[in-house]
Amino acid sequence: MLKKNVKNRIKDICTPALFLLGGFFLWEGLAAVLNVPEFLLPKPSKIILEVIAQFSFLLKHLYITMLEALSGYLVAILLSFTLATIFVYSKTMEKGLYPYAIAIKIAPTLAMAPFVILWFGIGLESKIVIVTLICFFPLLVNTVKGLKTVDEEALNLLKSLSASKWQIFLKLRLPSSLPFIFPALKISSTLAITGAFVGEFLAANQGIGYLILLYSRILDTTTALAALFVMILAGILLFSLISLIEKKVVFWQKSEEI
Amino acid sequence: MNEILEIKELTKYYNSLPVLDKISFRAHEGEFISIIGPSGCGKTTLLKTISGLIKPTSGKMEFKDRPAEFAVKKGRFGFVFQDAVLLPWRNVLKNIELPLEILGNANSRKTPKDLLKIVGLEGFENYYPNQLSGGMQQRVAIARALAFRPAVLLMDEPFGALDEITRNHMNLELLRIWQAEKAVTSTIIFITHSIPEAVFLSDKVIVLSKRPARIKEVLDINLPRPRETEIKSSKEYFALVECLRKMLKTE
Repeated sequence: MLKKNVKNRIKDICTPALFLLGGFFLWEGLAAVLNVPEFLLPKPSKIILEVIAQFSFLLKHLYITMLEALSGYLVAILLSFTLATIFVYSKTMEKGLYPYAIAIKIAPTLAMAPFVILWFGIGLESKIVIVTLICFFPLLVNTVKGLKTVDEEALNLLKSLSASKWQIFLKLRLPSSLPFIFPALKISSTLAITGAFVGEFLAANQGIGYLILLYSRILDTTTALAALFVMILAGILLFSLISLIEKKVVFWQKSEEI
Repeated sequence: MNEILEIKELTKYYNSLPVLDKISFRAHEGEFISIIGPSGCGKTTLLKTISGLIKPTSGKMEFKDRPAEFAVKKGRFGFVFQDAVLLPWRNVLKNIELPLEILGNANSRKTPKDLLKIVGLEGFENYYPNQLSGGMQQRVAIARALAFRPAVLLMDEPFGALDEITRNHMNLELLRIWQAEKAVTSTIIFITHSIPEAVFLSDKVIVLSKRPARIKEVLDINLPRPRETEIKSSKEYFALVECLRKMLKTE
């Protein structure tokens, strides 16, 4: 039983690793054979060497991007959770505000970003606002659904014990909502990085988005791709971290892969 | 025997749909009452009304000569549902402790660990509900209902979802648990749609009509206690099962 688990784990890790290695060599080989100029498509070995050579420089900018992404992410989590809780207990608030939450979602982030930059400047604040806007909706929808999806008999059980609203929230609604909240947390973690990136693309003087824009303009494609590479790596790490926390916290439910 | 619960002309309408029609009966200390009736007749509504989960349209309920609402608030009624309704994020021990967290420890004398022993789940404290079989889950639910020492235990087809063999075993177990806890939880009101189960467990079987539920018949079960499986092959047992079957058939 345990052996089989370990085997599956190794398979889970090795399969994508082998594909990565295959892609690496295919790209490397094609680039050499077809003699693609470096500014058009550098060899992957070059990109990796660039990452190593410029590591502290890239890290400094990655730190900025992740700072923006994580701050906006946290603000979105707090906001959506607070609003979802209010919605669960007040039909009026839900009816009054939900349409505007949807409106925020419908307006493309790219369309709102220029206004955000106009109002909040080109510093960290505007990026954090953009990230909050982009992460907010999936979190809100799932948290509302999670807090409302409560086993009716469990609710009856607590009511038969004359539990207060607060006790019902703490002992039933909150834990029941976690299997709904975590998938949204995972989706939003990737959106957060997209949001930070969009903000940096529009107006910034630091961050990975800024670097990619800068270096692709001067046709230093190797550095631009190296910057993209570290950002993707950081995104995967963040996503994996949240998946790991999900497995620990929502242990009673088999998590669905997304 | 002292009277513990009196139900007087309990009536319930859902909008204009009558569900309960002037249900009246008394329950005494040390009494095991089964309520049986065709499916959908309002048995669950009756039990939920007694436990205070549903407000009756009219009628009265008294617990020891006082309005039953007080008793509900004080946790004098324990409720066991058709499904075990265990919280999957709590282990067995934490599930049993749930009512104590909500009502406070005032009522409890026995520790949850003693209760686990009584329901035959010693050593399973740290298991999670999804690691237990249906029968074991229902044992946890019973232990949880007993945890705050209710005077009356209301059970809504608690073994309805179990297979026949497990169910027969749980019937015996329930009688044994009740015997052990009788000093505290003296009265059980038990809903079932199984005639043999009702006869085997009860002192009194209340037969309900089709919806709107009225009390059609009350059958006294004068089989000796303690009851073991052997009683099911006695003439008296067969006669009572047959009698109950006829009462339900004429519906």
